[in-house]
Amino acid sequence: MLGFPLNDFEFQYEKLLNAIPSSVLIIDKKLHVRSVNDNFLLKSQRTQESTVGRSLNEVFPLVILQSTGIEEIIHQVLQNGMAVKGQKMTYRAPGVPIRIYYYSILPFMSEQIMLIMEDVTEQFRLSEEVRRVEGHLASVVESASDIVLSTDSEGRILTWNSAAEKLSGLSAHDVDGRYFFDLCDINQKQSIFQMYQRMKVANASYTTEFHLVTPNNTNNILISWVFSAMKDEYFNTVGIVVVGRDLAERRKLELQLRQSQKLTALGVMAGGIAHEIRNPLAVCSSAAQFLQQTPISEDFQQECARKIQVNIQKASVIIENLLRFSRSSLDTDMVEVDLIAVLKDTMEIVSNQAKVQKIKMHLSLQRTILLVSGVSGLLQQVFMNVLLNAINAMPTGGDIYLVVTVVEDRVIISISDTGIGIPAGELDNIFDPFHTSSPIGQGTGLGLSICYSIIRQHLGSIQAESRFGQGATINIILPVL
Amino acid sequence: MAQVILVVDDEPDMCWIMSNIIQPQGFNVVVATTGEDACFKFAHGEFSMMFLDAKLPDMEGLEIAKYARHLTGRSPCIVMVSGYHYLDDPVVQKAMIEGLIRDFLPKPFSNEDLIKILRFYTQ
Repeated sequence: MLGFPLNDFEFQYEKLLNAIPSSVLIIDKKLHVRSVNDNFLLKSQRTQESTVGRSLNEVFPLVILQSTGIEEIIHQVLQNGMAVKGQKMTYRAPGVPIRIYYYSILPFMSEQIMLIMEDVTEQFRLSEEVRRVEGHLASVVESASDIVLSTDSEGRILTWNSAAEKLSGLSAHDVDGRYFFDLCDINQKQSIFQMYQRMKVANASYTTEFHLVTPNNTNNILISWVFSAMKDEYFNTVGIVVVGRDLAERRKLELQLRQSQKLTALGVMAGGIAHEIRNPLAVCSSAAQFLQQTPISEDFQQECARKIQVNIQKASVIIENLLRFSRSSLDTDMVEVDLIAVLKDTMEIVSNQAKVQKIKMHLSLQRTILLVSGVSGLLQQVFMNVLLNAINAMPTGGDIYLVVTVVEDRVIISISDTGIGIPAGELDNIFDPFHTSSPIGQGTGLGLSICYSIIRQHLGSIQAESRFGQGATINIILPVL
Repeated sequence: MAQVILVVDDEPDMCWIMSNIIQPQGFNVVVATTGEDACFKFAHGEFSMMFLDAKLPDMEGLEIAKYARHLTGRSPCIVMVSGYHYLDDPVVQKAMIEGLIRDFLPKPFSNEDLIKILRFYTQ
């Protein structure tokens, strides 16, 4: 609005100015405001009178003039006639909410400039919000103790969080743009590549376990991975999100659990062991006492010495079997194992307990040697568990039948007892952890769940069949070499 | 006539040991290595006492003791010799209170203790 009567043209011009949703000021070379639109007056809560004809430093707070250097910019525009665009101004004034503007200074008529201030407070607030949310998400990903990374649909790494840096020893910079397959266990590359191909079309996520290759190659870490496809709004796969969890800790706990379960098994066998060891000890002790007697015939002396030697050997074999059983789990490498030898060794260990409970074990074989890929200590633990369960199911004696049959590329080890059997309702959950039919303190309920995990690790399966009151059969199926 | 002692143990070496302790004391020894064998021999012989193992392949030692009591109608003189139990084992204590066994000797034992028990119950 101009300070004198308006003609039609000027009236039109003023209406136009006021219709613009930005603040518009006309400023002359003395830095006085010549004209201003309503938008500016509204935003700065000023009146026409306190603005038009006033010097710029009366209209704008000093701090804004200083921080933007706007007076200097106006002088330059007046001198060289070049517009200055897209500058940012934060407008703070007493009693007015903070506003953020992008402003432009354009040459206007002679010796005047037009200051256009576009209010971007809302956009700015939104972009701040977006930045904050992005930052929050990034810090969630960064703070996760699991590896979280993303790749494009071809497998090139796009993001790599700090857990990934820490576990792999590779920084985000090191892996930027590299193919994820290149960091995987060499044996797994092909299958991961195929998985990526499938995920381009399928909507499934994939779970697997393999080693992440570290730069020094000495300490490759076993990771449990979950791959999920990232889809756009047209359901095209635009990338893959990969989450990986370090299994070292879990493996350590599993090892401890297996070991403690073994000690439980040893506890169950304690009675049988005591009986079997004290017999040879009693023979040795009494024979040694005979040797102290005088007179003693040469023949009797020889006989006593021989009995002592034989019985020490007997006791030693029992102890050796126990030692082997209690220590074997420390070995975890899968190697070629003779399943029949493992089975026979295990039968030998439990034979003491079977004997005191009047249980006969019957082994029926098709072959005398049967090779599988496995950890003999772990397989022994499985057989031991199943046999001890069978023994526990027959407190007043009975029979255990072990039948080993080979069907195509699988071996079925079937262990049946003539005990009380498993009630139908419990058959489904006997492999669950902490499921036990024993009284409190006599069974942890972990034995069969550990068997299950060991057999799964050997790429096999384990099932139970039973009729209550008619014994139970455990079938263990393993791939043969 | 020398008194006869029945020795029941499934371990032949244990029977050999006990025979070699008992016989020089002026007794005859009859050996049984299964529960069935022990019951048969007990039913068909006259024994001053019996040394009885706790665990036989076919029977529990205490089952044999019960059979012996049932057969004779009184508490026969039986001493349990076992590596499976210990002296204050509740199973052993209960069997002694019930009169199924007179005494208990844990394996391994001193030959002297076995002789003392033998002398005590055969006087």
